[in-house]
Amino acid sequence: MTINPFAKIPDLTRRSLLAGTAAAGGLALLPAMARAQAPQPRSGGTLRAVMPFNPAALDPLTGRNNPDFNALLLMFDALIGFDPQTLELQPMLATSWKFTDPTTLVLELRQGVEFHDGTPFNAEAVVFHLQRCMTYERSNVKSDLAVVSKVEATGPYQVSIKLKYSDATLPAILTDRAGLIVSPASVKAAAGGNVDRAPVGTGPFKFVEWQDNALIKVVKNANYWGDKPYLDGVDMRIVNEFNTAVRTVTAGESDIVLNMSAQQMAVAKRDPKLVAEATPSMIYYTAFLNYGEGPLADVRVRQAMNWALDRPVLNQVLWGGLGGGHCSMFPSGFWANDPATENFYKLDLDRAKSLLKAAGFANGIEIATFTWADQAAVQRQEVLGAQLAEAGIRLKVTPAQPAQTMQYFLTEKKGHMLMTPTGGLPDPATAYDRQFSATAYRNAAKIELPGYRELMDASMNTFDNAKRKDVLFKMQRFVLENALHLPQFSSAGIIIRTPKVHGFNFSLLQRPRFHKVWMEA
Amino acid sequence: MMYGVPGMVAQRLMQLVPVMIVATFVVFSLVYMMPGDPAMMIAGDYATAERIAEIRHIYGFDRPMLMQYFFWLGNAVQGDLGHSLFSNESVLRLILARLPHTVLLVLYALVLGAVFGIPLGILAATRQGTTLDKVITSIASLGVAVPSFWLGIILVTLFSLGYRWFPATGAVSVFEKPLESIYYATLPAIALSTSVVAVLARQVRSALLEVLGSQYIRTLRAKGLSSGAILWKHGLRNVAATMLTIAGLQVNRLFSSAVIIEAVFAIPGVGNLISYSALNKDFPVVQGVALVLVLVVILTNLLVDVLNATFDPRVAASA
Repeated sequence: MTINPFAKIPDLTRRSLLAGTAAAGGLALLPAMARAQAPQPRSGGTLRAVMPFNPAALDPLTGRNNPDFNALLLMFDALIGFDPQTLELQPMLATSWKFTDPTTLVLELRQGVEFHDGTPFNAEAVVFHLQRCMTYERSNVKSDLAVVSKVEATGPYQVSIKLKYSDATLPAILTDRAGLIVSPASVKAAAGGNVDRAPVGTGPFKFVEWQDNALIKVVKNANYWGDKPYLDGVDMRIVNEFNTAVRTVTAGESDIVLNMSAQQMAVAKRDPKLVAEATPSMIYYTAFLNYGEGPLADVRVRQAMNWALDRPVLNQVLWGGLGGGHCSMFPSGFWANDPATENFYKLDLDRAKSLLKAAGFANGIEIATFTWADQAAVQRQEVLGAQLAEAGIRLKVTPAQPAQTMQYFLTEKKGHMLMTPTGGLPDPATAYDRQFSATAYRNAAKIELPGYRELMDASMNTFDNAKRKDVLFKMQRFVLENALHLPQFSSAGIIIRTPKVHGFNFSLLQRPRFHKVWMEA
Repeated sequence: MMYGVPGMVAQRLMQLVPVMIVATFVVFSLVYMMPGDPAMMIAGDYATAERIAEIRHIYGFDRPMLMQYFFWLGNAVQGDLGHSLFSNESVLRLILARLPHTVLLVLYALVLGAVFGIPLGILAATRQGTTLDKVITSIASLGVAVPSFWLGIILVTLFSLGYRWFPATGAVSVFEKPLESIYYATLPAIALSTSVVAVLARQVRSALLEVLGSQYIRTLRAKGLSSGAILWKHGLRNVAATMLTIAGLQVNRLFSSAVIIEAVFAIPGVGNLISYSALNKDFPVVQGVALVLVLVVILTNLLVDVLNATFDPRVAASA
């Protein structure tokens, strides 16, 4: 029996030809039509956002925690911006910057910018601001600018920053708190120079009110120097309890919820009316180790702990697979993350056991551990403890509030290990410095292992990006080979929103800017 | 006895000062003894050791505890409750902004508790041993057992997320929009009131049973008084003191339960404030809220005693 492949093709007639042509034409037009039907950015509306943390202050200098940036970047622009996906530095209030020599950074400033109080942004304002960063007694960013010896206006829109020693991380530091320029007039007018609750910047939104731990209200800055914000304003509610925060968007009482965790993501995904998004983040979960004394002074014990972890499983179980199950401090694809060593440690129980045996702990070892007391942290400690126990490493856990764990482990030098999330710094060298340098508060051992300082200095002194990348790859290998901490997985920035909210970008640092956000009518 | 109700009020008000000093000292000591360094929290995520030491000095955390307490007390006596260590907001302003939300919630829950709890108790007592009595007693037991935060979540799921009858979170100022504020407080107040309903129903039932079983009630019955007259004129009057005392105690308990309910419903009240501040070791705020709550509790107890004395001349006579 033969089969005629064309048997089902109807006879070709003029009518069918025309119909076919029309259909083909229609298909060709589909993308354009789809584009036409896709919602277009529109101005108007007040975004009802929710975040779980009350900012410590709305003065960038006196605030302290990463979630503060949800509010800060509404009102403040930085001297130097960053690409939200890559953290590549971008012009913002400074149109360009250049190290004219290893200890002089020259910034060319944007002209025609005004603070919300109508005063002009210029070199004088920047000098005032940077000096305030370094001298104001309540400033929490003094250490960020410890390298600066002198700041001077070398033109109406040019500022020169003289350094005590070369520091390639300074431009990245100027994307951070120290670079968020506060109006000098507002500081001078405030009692004691305290503008914690009266923020005046150059940002896309102007401050209206802050009801402590309840609401921050801002309205559009119609004179914004850059692309005008689409939104008329943002009402940023503060709801401390995560599940309650999600209920606000489920009940239609808010449009977007920030800084959620994997548990809330799972809940939100079950609701077809919500959009839950997870994006790579510079915040990661690790355990600080006291490698200066006790059993963890032996690198073999630290390595054994690292070999005993199954990180993809940790990521899956504890973070719903939304993060990165690797041992790097940075997300995959980040420029300073070396893919060759990103999975330096994989689960190898035999290796872990033999390292323990070689270190004299053939019968296993007990590690005194501090962890946070919240439900997610306890779950994390249980899963981690179960994995380590497979290699004979038993955790003796003391749960406590975050600040208490820091006090026990870092100030009072109790225990061997502290489980905590960390990270979120714009420059990778700074991230290493704040965790592993002898002066770092987070380094309980207060020592640097041989070889560390050379790499740290090189990362500070290298200005060429390609060379710097090479140095940072070496630093990543050094930290892993010496098992200076117990990285578990990188986290994700999680938000839950209604479909009518568009243009939100949490960024790798979980520091969103809202001026590109818009809402459907 | 010599001074009656005014004397009792004066005596209680005089006791207020030492009680508040002791209470605030105890709270201060407890917060002080809690592990955790406020300087570290103020210094932030990536503080240096030097910065933490500097903050300790600036805020006076390096001074002896007693000195810190008396410094706070000296200012408090002058009406200055200080500023939050963390948000730099005036403590007085913080409390004044939040207290109305909590007071509304507590009073609303108390009213609901009284409206449902007292009639249920009366019904159960007047129908002792019947199915209705057993049902009411069982409901009362359940009301005590059910955690208010759990009930809150169930109510939100059902009536906010499901039927959309009530808001899931938030609060509205009772001074700006009184009706809307009551609407917002309805679900949290219901969640908070269940235990009040249960406790009042049980206590009113047992107190009324005791009264109704007493000899003078039997005498009244023998004289031909109707059951209704006995209940309303004599029975309830005699349990009024019990009801008032229980209600007064419930006010104190409701303020503490509000801490959790405010978290579930994202209500910016003082419960939410004190829990957040205690976790952060924000001494001035915790002290300020404690001061206000102690004052509220003492004044509530005083009010209960005055009402008791008004209803019961024996109490007034013994005051």
